[in-house]
Amino acid sequence: MARSLPKTKKAEILTLGEAVKKYMHDGIMCAFSGFTGFNRNPVAFAWETVRQGIKDIHVLDRHGSVCTWLLNAVNAIKIQETDWFGWGEMAGKLDVNLERNYKAGKMILEDYAHGAIAMRFLAGAVGIPFIPYHAPLGSDLYNPRFDALGRAGLREGDHSKIPSKKFIEMEDPFYGEGDLVLLPAARPDLAVIHVSQAGEKGTARWRGVGTIDKEIAFACDKVVVICEEIVPESELRKTPEGNQIPYFVVDCVVEQPWGAYPSSVPFYYDYDAPFMRIMDAASRKEEDLKKWLDEWVFQPQSWEEFMEKLGARKLLDLKADSVTGYSTRMMRGKKPAPRMTMPLSVAKSGY
Amino acid sequence: MAKSMEQMIELMDKIPHEPAKPSEFMLPELMAIAVAHEVRDDDIVFAGTGLPMVGIMTANLLNAPHALLIYESGICDGKTMHVPMTVCDQRAANMSSTLGGLVDTFGYYLQRGYVTLGFLGGAAIDKYGGVNVTSIGDYFTPTHRFTGSGGNSDIGTLAHRTAFIILQEKRRFLEKNDYTTTPGWWCWDFKSGEWKPKKEVWKNTPFAESGPCTVVTNMGVYGFDEEGIIYLKTVHPGVTVAQVQENCGFDLNVSRIEGETPHPTYRELFVLREFVDPELIFLPQKVDYPANIQSIIDG
Repeated sequence: MARSLPKTKKAEILTLGEAVKKYMHDGIMCAFSGFTGFNRNPVAFAWETVRQGIKDIHVLDRHGSVCTWLLNAVNAIKIQETDWFGWGEMAGKLDVNLERNYKAGKMILEDYAHGAIAMRFLAGAVGIPFIPYHAPLGSDLYNPRFDALGRAGLREGDHSKIPSKKFIEMEDPFYGEGDLVLLPAARPDLAVIHVSQAGEKGTARWRGVGTIDKEIAFACDKVVVICEEIVPESELRKTPEGNQIPYFVVDCVVEQPWGAYPSSVPFYYDYDAPFMRIMDAASRKEEDLKKWLDEWVFQPQSWEEFMEKLGARKLLDLKADSVTGYSTRMMRGKKPAPRMTMPLSVAKSGY
Repeated sequence: MAKSMEQMIELMDKIPHEPAKPSEFMLPELMAIAVAHEVRDDDIVFAGTGLPMVGIMTANLLNAPHALLIYESGICDGKTMHVPMTVCDQRAANMSSTLGGLVDTFGYYLQRGYVTLGFLGGAAIDKYGGVNVTSIGDYFTPTHRFTGSGGNSDIGTLAHRTAFIILQEKRRFLEKNDYTTTPGWWCWDFKSGEWKPKKEVWKNTPFAESGPCTVVTNMGVYGFDEEGIIYLKTVHPGVTVAQVQENCGFDLNVSRIEGETPHPTYRELFVLREFVDPELIFLPQKVDYPANIQSIIDG
């Protein structure tokens, strides 16, 4: 059956709680913005999703993140289809919650790779059902035996969002350039995208890397934009080349300052690697995890209370410099960051 | 009193470019510099988080000042002032040429064929340079589950040449991987079910000749022969060939050994310690310089 054509949307402005209640539901397939646990994760949205008890989520995404860490902490993810099952990189590589749930048979993991997931979302975004890619031939990623969703009987056509195959290998029919892999388009129900600014009409902008956020906005049926600040559309339109998401694909805008913490929002605040290390340590024992969840997820009555608990000192340390877009006051390693005026490679050898 | 960065740059050229003694550097420093030596000045490098990133940043200040660094989240030619903890760090995006996303890095740069050097990590490797970052044991009921590919499999096959940095243990250096995330010079042809040279599986694609070139471990540096089989090239100071063989799960070719891995020079160590990772994020601690070098630094 053909995919139905989308309609132009009129963005509504909701609170965090209202947005989760309206746009999340049990069994939903969704994608979260940013990259790993460090950049523009819509954490407040995932945090509220855990609090509202949403279950059986199918995450189809480019990575693990603080969002998937939180959801896996309460076993809310049933299927995780992605290319990287870590979350915190240097501050917590593999998601221990995910590993525990997976080994206990509580969830399905489908492995892809970054390039493949980027291409799948690109296909979803530009409205084609599949896309050829020079995927790594000979990798077990493209071993027909290792199709987790197929093995679970989920590719029989009962799920309109799950393609009938993980991939197809085929020969280039046009230029004769050997074998390629055809990848099915990614078409989740919902994209949740954290940005720095959104206009009241829904136009959205971020600074820093884009990862695949524009692609997920167009590939998914519905789009929730969480922003640090809602600004007048007229402001964003003075420099439209700085905007990435046009308003007509956005269903809902939520203003949630510090809503990506402990990941970063370039030019707003930096990531909090020490906090992520604490989360990672807590996930290693079920009783510690329960304690952490009670303290940081269930006891605060709002995201504002969460931030209050974190304390002003922390926020001062993480506040981004207006020139670099990151914080030079935060202790990331064992020594403070040196004061710099210029990248040394440029000072020494130019560009 | 602390020196300004301008003074430190001037100092850089005064520090002798002579090999340090083994007691004057740490293993991670030796490995990071071994990574740096793989980078050529005209390379477009696509590197992963950790020591690969630290190594190529060091190269960018010394032997390969014009190498262009790509980070997978969308960064093209970032000029960093502070070492990034991740490939999506705003620190890595500083003063970049352009910023985009994964379609840019994996599509426009990598699949289009511009990337000449990939630098990646791995959990295990086979004798043909095939890397596993996915799982140990049966894929569906693994004894160990790792993070999975990320960009490893794409970069490791589409970059013209790829170097890996891996911890060397018998269970990580294998005749065959339990799961091949990134195929090396020999791999399965799933269409025919045969184990074949990668060149045949990838026949007619623009990437048939691309593949692993170097492996850096905590014990030595490795190359690949004409058949695509790994061989020991150099051993790190204090490591014997017998120790390397004990920590290898297959019959390793040691006949082509060229000697000891070059020691980092004082200038390389100075750059790595003072400019690349002065915050001690990747390096475990600050090692003292010998008195003659310290006196140059103190002026």
